[in-house]
Amino acid sequence: MNINNIRNFSIIAHIDHGKSTLADRILEYAGNISERDKKDQILDSMDLERERGITIKLNAVQLKYNYNNEEYIFHLIDTPGHVDFSYEVSRSLAACEGAILVVDATQGIEAQTLANVRLALDNNLVIIPVINKIDLPNSDVNSVKRELIDTFGFNDEEILLVSAKTGQGIDKLLEEIIIKIPSPKITDDRLQALIFDSIYDSYKGIILLIRVVNGNIKIGDTIKMMANNSTYEVIELGVYTPISKSKDVLTSGEVGYLCAQIKKIDDIVVGDTITHNKLSAVEPLIGYKKMKPMVFCGLYPIDSKDFEDLREALEKLKLNDSALSYEPETSKALGFGFRCGFLGLLHMDIIEERIEREFNINLIATSPSVIYDVYLTDGSNINVENPTKLPDRQMISRIEEPYIYTNIFVPSDFIGSVMELCQNKRGNYISMDYIDDKRVNIHYEIPLSEIVYDFFDKLKSYTKGYASFDYDIIGYKANDLVKMDILINGESVDALSIIVHKDFAYKRGKIIVENLKEIIPRQLFEVPIQAVIGSKVLARADIKAMRKDVIAKCYGGDITRKRKLLEKQKEGKKRMKTVGSVEIPQEAFLSILSMDERK
Amino acid sequence: MKSVYIHIPFCNDICTYCDFCKMYYNCDLANKYLISLNNEIASNYKGELIETLYIGGGTPSSLSIMQLKKLFTIINIFNLSQLKEFTFECNVDSLDYDKLKLLYDNGVNRLSVGIQTFNNDILKVLNRKHTKNDIINIYNIARSIGFNNINLDLIYGIQDIEVLNDDLNNLIKLNPEHISCYSLCINPNTKMYIDNKKQINEDLDYKMYSIIKKRLKEYNHYEISNYCKKGYESKHNLVYWNNERYYGFGLSACGYINNYRYDNTKNMNEYNKGNYIREKYIISNEENIKYEIMLNLRKKYGINKREFYDKHNINIINYNNISNLINENKLIENENNVYISERWKYKMNSILIKII
Repeated sequence: MNINNIRNFSIIAHIDHGKSTLADRILEYAGNISERDKKDQILDSMDLERERGITIKLNAVQLKYNYNNEEYIFHLIDTPGHVDFSYEVSRSLAACEGAILVVDATQGIEAQTLANVRLALDNNLVIIPVINKIDLPNSDVNSVKRELIDTFGFNDEEILLVSAKTGQGIDKLLEEIIIKIPSPKITDDRLQALIFDSIYDSYKGIILLIRVVNGNIKIGDTIKMMANNSTYEVIELGVYTPISKSKDVLTSGEVGYLCAQIKKIDDIVVGDTITHNKLSAVEPLIGYKKMKPMVFCGLYPIDSKDFEDLREALEKLKLNDSALSYEPETSKALGFGFRCGFLGLLHMDIIEERIEREFNINLIATSPSVIYDVYLTDGSNINVENPTKLPDRQMISRIEEPYIYTNIFVPSDFIGSVMELCQNKRGNYISMDYIDDKRVNIHYEIPLSEIVYDFFDKLKSYTKGYASFDYDIIGYKANDLVKMDILINGESVDALSIIVHKDFAYKRGKIIVENLKEIIPRQLFEVPIQAVIGSKVLARADIKAMRKDVIAKCYGGDITRKRKLLEKQKEGKKRMKTVGSVEIPQEAFLSILSMDERK
Repeated sequence: MKSVYIHIPFCNDICTYCDFCKMYYNCDLANKYLISLNNEIASNYKGELIETLYIGGGTPSSLSIMQLKKLFTIINIFNLSQLKEFTFECNVDSLDYDKLKLLYDNGVNRLSVGIQTFNNDILKVLNRKHTKNDIINIYNIARSIGFNNINLDLIYGIQDIEVLNDDLNNLIKLNPEHISCYSLCINPNTKMYIDNKKQINEDLDYKMYSIIKKRLKEYNHYEISNYCKKGYESKHNLVYWNNERYYGFGLSACGYINNYRYDNTKNMNEYNKGNYIREKYIISNEENIKYEIMLNLRKKYGINKREFYDKHNINIINYNNISNLINENKLIENENNVYISERWKYKMNSILIKII
């Protein structure tokens, strides 16, 4: 393998700008895919990814392409598009020398385009700008070109025009990849291979996805993980084409997989460097910056028997998602579960859904929280990620909360609506950049805790779906924050406690108790619901006692149907949690998220 | 097996709250239907002695005199030598002296008349074509012909409390042997549902239920929605609530024979082709016990301990949560029976789901 003929690259794009379709087309043009293996969006292999049309986990594919009678090896490393996964983007980018920047000809630059370009530049990648979807009747190539030139300083000539759908411009793109993206460079003769992902396989153990930077790796080699010096014998090597194809050796510059019967999840750190046990490299490669989870919530199995299964599920998910964190916790209301940390809301959503779908565990998720920095009167300081753990008010001198800096891309018609929304979310206006005469990028500083509620949905509805949104965490600020508890039938339900700004507490409390009143079905007795701060009641709503729960008509024609109805009612009851003799449906634990009154 | 239900799916008008299987009356369609009905009965009835017969709908009284005569010949397939109760469902506007006389002469000994309310305005909302005076006229004609077992259906939850009290006054004055009262339930696929009409809240519903119960104190409240004078319980409906077997014939009819319950098709074309049964549910012994508890507890005196034991070889007191529920006074146990306490009757689902 001639290292000069290897090209390692990623495709970066805002969601829905056509990244996966472009990847498919490149795969097709490089001739790897037989009709039989052809599924739409081949790199998106998780069901969830294909359903939502987004890429979550990166994937690496080896392609062979003939250019001027020479064979080139491409390694296409897929990246997720969403802000929550910028960590994963940076992981894939670290294994590349170049990136294809895809922008939708009908949409122009969006919030995540900006974020991804920044990451690519951080990784010193060569960027090939591509305008996609030029076949669409409403495409506006010229103004998108203008945006790319003005925002990132590209030249007119280097911007490629492509339709991933029709294949137009793909040949030119492949040529540019060869010409512009540099081949990998060898800097040392000892083995250094970067682990950029890992997958659990019940037969092969943990499969590592690696990029060999220096040296060669062969079957039978004894390798060492540089982070903890654990050693393994290499049993299988290979590349994905995208079907896995085993090889005897991976040489420098190559991207592929490695199996070594690894069973101990703790031994594997994504971002670690693999070297030979003898003749070790002197230093590991520069790994990844550890991402800190920013959003936390409690995950509880509905059936307490599933607790151990939930632990196992989290363990396996963490294997290739090191940004996920979890720690056992107990709740009076919900029993045994885990406090889990996520990069953002979508990340949280996806993990919850994967647990329910891939591991078949029914979950109750508590409302998400951020990490608060709490300064105590004795001068010490603690992190609180679970509102229940907030110390007594007398012991607290001040509470600081994380803030974000927003990039909100929106047509200028919606500036007013976006500002109104941000203002309601305790935001401070910073500035506004005009992308062109029709679109702006609005910058606010907003507490992260306000984003974890219903900001995304609100932003969408306030802007008729036109806004795109991205953010950076910028640090902590002190605010007048208090813990609000929810009492149901006089008992505090720990899983419903939240930390709120004092000025917003009354309004939130009122909405929460009203929502809970609608969600919690009538019980056999009257149930008061109260929102309290300390002993002060801010809001109260009463659920009246149940009066009627009967099948009024039951004659010859109804009997089997009514029997089914009862069975359904019984099942519904099973899915509720009993707190102080009140049966609470799952929905209640998330209702606290909504800032709106239910209709 | 001693009971037969026959469904007549035709109506002259469609009530705004009705979600039963029904269609507009059409003479040709009805003639064809009666032929199919005859075929279904002929091919499935095994010759048992029939003690109760119930013709329901739809509106069986929407059939013409000729068709009614045809229906009565069909019924003659059954062995009716021991027939004790023969109920015919009707509504007010499709009845007249001739039809009532025909019913009477052909052995119908119980009329079930859907009057719903005596309030003319509300009758219009329900798309009933009769008035208060029509109800009283038809009722008196039926009496004069000799019907001495009449059920009247009343709906509550559509009128306010004042009108409900009026309705009850009128009802009590007519002095029928049997009264069925249901709170209005707005089901999908009804006009009221489509028109986005809302059901009354459960507090008012319960209040009305309590008023009715109190006003009908001369009657025996023998099933959740049914009241009768002494000895006038519906024998046919008791077959359902006693979890006994019965034939169901006709479009969308349901039955319970041998070890299965079945639903007939609701598709007239399929029915006319002879594809009567749409679905069968095999009832295991364990399921049968659950059905029995669900149905028995609808009755005032609930489950007969002895009969339950004879049938299932299980002491009902030892079944699931029954003894706990007795300790909580939700169920009452006396010498012969286990039944739901008065206070819990209108909330009996919450008890049932703890048992079955």
